[in-house]
Amino acid sequence: MGLLTLLRKLKRSDKEARLLILGLDNSGKTSCLRKLADEDISQTTPTQGFNIKTVMSSGFKLNVWDIGGQKAIRPYWQNYFESTDGLVYVIDSSDQKRLQETSVELNQLLEEEKLSGVPIMVLANKQDLLNALSAKQIAEELGLHSIRDRTWQIQACSAKTGEGLQQGMEWLVNTLG
Amino acid sequence: MRLRRFLLRYYPPGIILEYERSSGIEESKTIDLLDLDQNTDIDATVEQIIRHEPLISESKRPQRTELRDKATSTEHSKFRLYQALSGHELPLTNCAFNKSGDKFITGSYDRTCKVWDTHTGRELLSLRGHRNVVYSIAFNNPFGDKIITGSFDKTCGLWNANTGECYYSLRGHQTEIVSLSFNPQSTLIATGSMDATAKLWDVETGSELYTFAGHQQEIVSLNFNNIGDLIVTGSFDHTTKLWDVRTGRDVHTFTGHKGEISSTQFNFAGDLVISGSIDNTCKIWSVRTGTCQKTLRGHQDEVLDIAFNAAGTRIVTGSADCSAKVWNTITGNCIASCYGHHGEISKVSFNPQGHTIITASSDKTCRLWNVETGDCTQQLQGHTDEIFSCAFNYEGDTIITGSKDNTCRIWKSEDYSDRQQYYDMQ
Repeated sequence: MGLLTLLRKLKRSDKEARLLILGLDNSGKTSCLRKLADEDISQTTPTQGFNIKTVMSSGFKLNVWDIGGQKAIRPYWQNYFESTDGLVYVIDSSDQKRLQETSVELNQLLEEEKLSGVPIMVLANKQDLLNALSAKQIAEELGLHSIRDRTWQIQACSAKTGEGLQQGMEWLVNTLG
Repeated sequence: MRLRRFLLRYYPPGIILEYERSSGIEESKTIDLLDLDQNTDIDATVEQIIRHEPLISESKRPQRTELRDKATSTEHSKFRLYQALSGHELPLTNCAFNKSGDKFITGSYDRTCKVWDTHTGRELLSLRGHRNVVYSIAFNNPFGDKIITGSFDKTCGLWNANTGECYYSLRGHQTEIVSLSFNPQSTLIATGSMDATAKLWDVETGSELYTFAGHQQEIVSLNFNNIGDLIVTGSFDHTTKLWDVRTGRDVHTFTGHKGEISSTQFNFAGDLVISGSIDNTCKIWSVRTGTCQKTLRGHQDEVLDIAFNAAGTRIVTGSADCSAKVWNTITGNCIASCYGHHGEISKVSFNPQGHTIITASSDKTCRLWNVETGDCTQQLQGHTDEIFSCAFNYEGDTIITGSKDNTCRIWKSEDYSDRQQYYDMQ
């Protein structure tokens, strides 16, 4: 990839939409991205920095940035806000203990000036696990229905099986288009 | 006229004469010996210099042999991992040594620039204040007492390299600053930005002197020539421009590339500029006429970085096709091709002696190569993610590498360890 590629990805382009994937650590952001890019997800380790991949969805080129979610490096999420066309927020649907924490982070993102009006796709990930909450339950817990300043959608998915991921991207592409 | 001091410059080889005029005024004169090599008949060279240079006497002869032997050494020493530094919280961007090599600096996505002690590996300073990625960094070599940092936060920081004090935060660019440089005299700073302009700033006052406007797209590369009267900028608009530092006007626009420019550089003499491009080629341009002298073709994919050797006689190009190539500047012929990396090569440079090149790759390794044969002499393994930057110190016995794995590694040549042990025993 190299530093020059980073600069080229930074550039706003008419041909490529720039998506940002955020969410708590262990929510499955990198797995979602890898699955979307048809890559093996069995070797995924916690992301210390970021991963960038170009994926195609409904004929559109998506320039997707997956940013590490550990608490210590969340303050640096702002580094990547510039020129964002769409936000993907990933939630571990099986981890009910951290719903409060992820809700706080999400609300802070919604207040960011640089992300104002940016459409958001909430991925209710890990639906393959038995104790996963449904997308409807999560939308209620997070109070998504009170979002008025942008279009949003929640999609149940599983990075493990791939179920729901394409639908999520298609919704975003249609919204941006 | 009286000769006061006689200085040797190793990389590139040259002699600097400091002398006193009969009026008492001190001046200096440089004799470049850019063509010096192992086969140079040193006696003939000396005779020629003495004939043309009344300041030099017979007694200086032995030192010139030393100059040839050191400046053109072809020893390929092995490097060993000396230390892995994990002070940064996020991926590194660029790294750079000061002239003496006792310190180096690293920029990072964690918004800091850190100053490190090359010998102990200790973090000396962490320059804080930027609100986004610190991308481009530089010492004011050869002085080394100041540092500049270009950030995605649109500002450039000017810092005291010893105390970490921030002298100025240079504001004016509309978007990310991604290239910068001090002029050789350390009186000016030039910055290049994704806003398609370059700016010139005064070191003393921190004020903006000129905006170089003319590029249609992002400026990603910027360099001064050795005298400091010209700046070259490379842009995503496929052109390279030459600017007059004194007037702020554009002198030449080098057009011909069919893709974004990735990297630019002046040769030591300052009569040539090279530009690497996404169009898979590197072009050599004449500074005087503004015309293309040679197009270096052979890479199968984007050329991501380019560099001259210290004397300007050779060029190295690194490509997304996973290979690096060495070229003769005069003929434009490819001398050697370096194959072996499994990922794109995003950084290349010569060691100061010019017999080795280093390549940094997305395959998580750096490799050292013999310039004449293209053989890989060593792999620097250990990073766990791709390597974004690498640099030799001026002596050529230490390498630093900056990676996406959040670490910086120091590699020292075995000669260095031997010498250090020798010093330790004294």
